[in-house]
Amino acid sequence: MIFLRAKPDSVAITGAVIGLWSLLPGWLTLKPSRIATGTSLSLWDSFTLPGALSIIFLWLVCFSFSFRLKNERLALLTGICANLIAIASFLMAGLSAERLLAGEEATARVSLGAGIWLTLIATYIVIFAARQKLGQSPLWKNLVSWSGLAVIIFLFASGWLNELSIVREFLDREARFMQELVHHVMLVGVSVSIGGVLGIMLGIWATRSGAAEKPVFFFSNITQTIPSLALFGLLIAPLSILSFTFPTLRELGIRGVGDTPAIIALIIYSLLPVVRNTYVGLKQVPPAVIDAGRGMGMSRGQIFRRVEMPLAAPIVLEGVRTATVQSVGLAAVAALIGAGGLGWFIFQGLGQAASDLILLGALPIIILAIIADIIMRTIVRLATPKGVAGETP
Amino acid sequence: MIRLENVTKRFGDTIAVDNLSFEVNQGEVCVLIGPSGCGKTTTLRMINRMTEPTSGRIFINGKDTSTEKPEVLRRAIGYAIQSVGLFPHLTVARNIATVPELLHWDEKRIARRVEELLLLVGLNPAQYARKYPHQLSGGEAQRIGVARALAADPSVLLMDEPFGAVDPLTRERLQTQFARIQQELKKTVIMVTHDLDEAIRLADRIAIMKSGRLVQYDTPEALLTKPANKFVHDFVGTDRALKRLSRLPIMPYVRQAPSVTMNATMDEVEAVCRHCQWVWVVNDQKRLLGWLDRGSIPSASSVSDVIVRGTPEEIAVTGKATLREALSRMLGQGLRSIPVVDEMGILLGEITLRDIEMATAGTDTAP
Repeated sequence: MIFLRAKPDSVAITGAVIGLWSLLPGWLTLKPSRIATGTSLSLWDSFTLPGALSIIFLWLVCFSFSFRLKNERLALLTGICANLIAIASFLMAGLSAERLLAGEEATARVSLGAGIWLTLIATYIVIFAARQKLGQSPLWKNLVSWSGLAVIIFLFASGWLNELSIVREFLDREARFMQELVHHVMLVGVSVSIGGVLGIMLGIWATRSGAAEKPVFFFSNITQTIPSLALFGLLIAPLSILSFTFPTLRELGIRGVGDTPAIIALIIYSLLPVVRNTYVGLKQVPPAVIDAGRGMGMSRGQIFRRVEMPLAAPIVLEGVRTATVQSVGLAAVAALIGAGGLGWFIFQGLGQAASDLILLGALPIIILAIIADIIMRTIVRLATPKGVAGETP
Repeated sequence: MIRLENVTKRFGDTIAVDNLSFEVNQGEVCVLIGPSGCGKTTTLRMINRMTEPTSGRIFINGKDTSTEKPEVLRRAIGYAIQSVGLFPHLTVARNIATVPELLHWDEKRIARRVEELLLLVGLNPAQYARKYPHQLSGGEAQRIGVARALAADPSVLLMDEPFGAVDPLTRERLQTQFARIQQELKKTVIMVTHDLDEAIRLADRIAIMKSGRLVQYDTPEALLTKPANKFVHDFVGTDRALKRLSRLPIMPYVRQAPSVTMNATMDEVEAVCRHCQWVWVVNDQKRLLGWLDRGSIPSASSVSDVIVRGTPEEIAVTGKATLREALSRMLGQGLRSIPVVDEMGILLGEITLRDIEMATAGTDTAP
């Protein structure tokens, strides 16, 4: 047994163990209706025998390969296996749902169980570990990272998963979903843009003026500690009064409930990470560099534009990234004060005890957060000057 | 030409610079030196108005600096500091181009100037222009700092411990290079340092400061031979005779030296060597090969039997050396005389301990 002597990759082995453990809980749940409690079906009862066996086999392969992950070829194979598990799980879930529902009432639903979600998480742990070992090849790295997800999206788009309850919930509300998705992105986009600009200005002000430093940080720190729901609630009263006192504001769409308080609250939450990072970013510019710039005859504006800004930009944008990802999550709560967004599905689902409707709101929020993170990371990387990143040109 | 007239700087209650007046001539290097807190850096920074004087006036080439916009003034003055302060996000080329860019030179002219300056400070443009500051060694960064200060060809150069942050060996190289560049460019330079050796080596005039006042403003030779008071005497130290040697080039003290070639007969050697203890051995091109001790001659039948071999690098100093280097070499090798060669190793002559003694005579008189 060569495996016994080898030291396993700790991340990959964790993923593989979670993956094997995920075979135990229920994979699918058959429910008489979308809100009823149903019967949980094990992997055996959910899938056909060859299907179940193939998933077990693939997990065993991942498990044993995690002892040899240093080998780049085996790391690639492990990554491919993990992707195959994710794809197979969803594909077979879609097919099994069709089979299970064949003899049932029209209201019956098949939901994804704990086991299948756990397997999905486990595959991404393994994929993450495998990706790290793939060295410099961006082609293989991206293939391993995204192929599974891409195929699952393709399966979803081409109707293979239509019998799953969560997809049913989606299909029943497709127009509404798109509307709320766009609305969610709008809420985040508007508030992070305004919050970002405001935060950068406050951050610059805090670095420039000793008097401003304390109040700026006091304000942005204190607001961060207010629970989001409380902040949304707190804004309702003053905004209602404003909109009733000044009809012009009401015509502009400013009301106690809806988008206005949501955007204001999200702006306030965006401030701290941006202000803090702007402050740190500007403070870390070496004084000698600024002194040299001044000594060579740069004006204050030129020092700011040519020296301080490029050197602080990566850190400032890192703050904007934090604010964006955080806002994607916080915007879900905004649905409670009538602002809409993907949170709407979560609270509808909670109200109806329809777990798949909750997921219809929650899953896209997670995906949005990941996409926002990737986009912002790319922007941060592009904004990082070569000489600062330490890369050789 | 730089002239300070009754310049005073107060920070709150402390007087950093107290009624200072002095003048630096066109093309001269003036080194400001003194214990820390003596106001030397403040003085330097008042010249390009990084610090505004509380009172008094400063003239550059006859023009009152306070009449000009600080930014415009600074673009016409080179500025190099100890911490260098290269812009980490810009390449070496863009760093050097800073002031020309501020002055809106056209791109071609800037590119040409950058290349010129890199060559001037002894760095290969092809290799260094596109590097980033974090890829440079300390000494390279300091050189780029000097190149950047010289970029727009300012007539005045301000340097605040420009060779401070490097190891002693690198510092000495940088000083040598600076001396060469200064000889070529003849800038009016004001340099702050706390290194007396550096001051003596590079300065045309040294301004010794204490508590914001000028204690003595003189040439290095005068400072070493005639300290104005006890403070200067102590500051210059008891080794000022040695320090003075580093001001004195070797060539005026070099004397003709006896030499023989490898194929000289022992009789010829005897003839050359009659009045001396040793004789240098050279080849046909007069390149130094080693030496013969007179005591060993009688026992030998040919030069090659008794020659003590040594390359010029090992046993000689070059004609560009100072008396201090020559002395150091003699002490290091236990010789009372060493050969002087040119860059090719051709024998120029020799210098003896006695010559150096004569040169320093009279330095160490008490104030």
